Amino acid sequence: MRRLFTYRDLLLTLIARELTVRYKRSSIGFLWTMLQPLLTMLVLHLVFSSIFRGQLENYPVFVLAGLMFWNFFSQSIISSMNSLRSNAALLKKLPVPQAIFPVATVIAGVVNFFLALIPLFGLLLVTGHHLGPSLFFLPVAIAIAAIFTLGAGLLLSPLAVFFYDVVEVVGVLMMLAMYATPIIYPMSILPERYRWFVRFNPLRSILEVFRDPIYYGKIPPLAHLSVALAVAVAAFVIGAWSFHRSADRIPFYV
Amino acid sequence: MPAVIQLDNVALRYRLARQRIPSFKEYAIHMLRGMLTYRELWALRDVSFSVERGEVVGIVGRNGAGKSTLLKVISGILKPTRGRVSVGGRVSPLLELGTGFDTELTGRENVFLNALLLGRSRRSVSERFDSIVDFAELGEFIDAPLRNYSSGMVARLGFAIATAWKPEVLILDEVLAVGDAAFQLKCHRRLQEVLQSGATVLMVSHMGKILIDECGRCLWLAEGRVVADGDPKSVLAQYEPVTPEPELARSGG
Repeated sequence: MRRLFTYRDLLLTLIARELTVRYKRSSIGFLWTMLQPLLTMLVLHLVFSSIFRGQLENYPVFVLAGLMFWNFFSQSIISSMNSLRSNAALLKKLPVPQAIFPVATVIAGVVNFFLALIPLFGLLLVTGHHLGPSLFFLPVAIAIAAIFTLGAGLLLSPLAVFFYDVVEVVGVLMMLAMYATPIIYPMSILPERYRWFVRFNPLRSILEVFRDPIYYGKIPPLAHLSVALAVAVAAFVIGAWSFHRSADRIPFYV
Repeated sequence: MPAVIQLDNVALRYRLARQRIPSFKEYAIHMLRGMLTYRELWALRDVSFSVERGEVVGIVGRNGAGKSTLLKVISGILKPTRGRVSVGGRVSPLLELGTGFDTELTGRENVFLNALLLGRSRRSVSERFDSIVDFAELGEFIDAPLRNYSSGMVARLGFAIATAWKPEVLILDEVLAVGDAAFQLKCHRRLQEVLQSGATVLMVSHMGKILIDECGRCLWLAEGRVVADGDPKSVLAQYEPVTPEPELARSGG
């Protein structure tokens, strides 16, 4: 951590590069960050809206909030794996703190997460959804999601250096995890015998802490909040510990 | 004089997999069958020495003797398998010319990127930018992409960045051999300046002349052990007769 502070200007540069590289080639640049989840939401709305009618009102808001969380989580994980792998050759020649790459990726993801709030607020206005003070809680919810995601990124990114195909495997697992988390569907459509599985899914508690203030217009109850925070901190501690243990081995594997 | 670099019984093991295992699945299969065997290679065995502040120490040895590994251990890139390494002061490693350079970026962008990778701040790069370009003699080439540079230009730029901060510990792996005579003279002068500011220098070179000119002390590394340590002339006199042919290849060992 202290070494990360010495390299803070490198960290800022990596974050800026992460943010710009993705959109450099497209003409509307940063707008894609905001447009992409909106378009996905539109597709899902066309497909699922009628199916969930009666169980969910204003499905677009429900699904957009879910997608924002999911995009942040899955893109941060995949990018932090790729960034550590693509910079691993550098780590063989320079004593750069290895964690700087996943950390930069997750921070860039947080910036994109905040940017994606703009189209979300637009959607809330357009659909006449309840706009309340609970929205001021969102930075806390995003911080919890970021702690969780950083932990998962630190845990998984060294694996991408050690094994070539692990990014592909994680990509598939991500898809599975997405369907095991109530992002595009409400819990209520699940048959009772499957609900326990989703209930114990740690991603769900993080997701709901973010989605409740938007969709239900309420600050999540303290019980939910403390579970989400505990899950996030546990993920971070496990991730940081395992990264610390495996980081020394990275230069040997390139 | 206090020791700036201190190595106590340092050993480093590379584990080379006998078979290439690129995938997680194969790893699991091999592990279950107990086939996960490695060929162990001790690149360093029981290396102990200390370097005092202000010393310029040269390291010689044949390819594969562990020279580059030793520099990486001292730079903090590789953690030794056994033993202790302590370095008092900021290390500026220049292990390979062009490390951390992105050939698609311009020289200017690379100066910043490279210095940041060495843990410098953006502001301190700006302050030294002109003197770096000056030393590297790049002129208006500084705004051309690095892929258009000659190897001499890349060498000058890399050396200029590594030495622009008056490093406390400067580590050079075979980098002085690249340029022409004028570049070597310049590097020699820069090294003298760096030394006057109290730096300690460790360098690997295959060129006896450079070692005799620059170093006050020389280590001979063979099969991961220090076999001679002393005055460059006498160490080289022991080393050169046992080296069968003049080493033309400049790859670090």
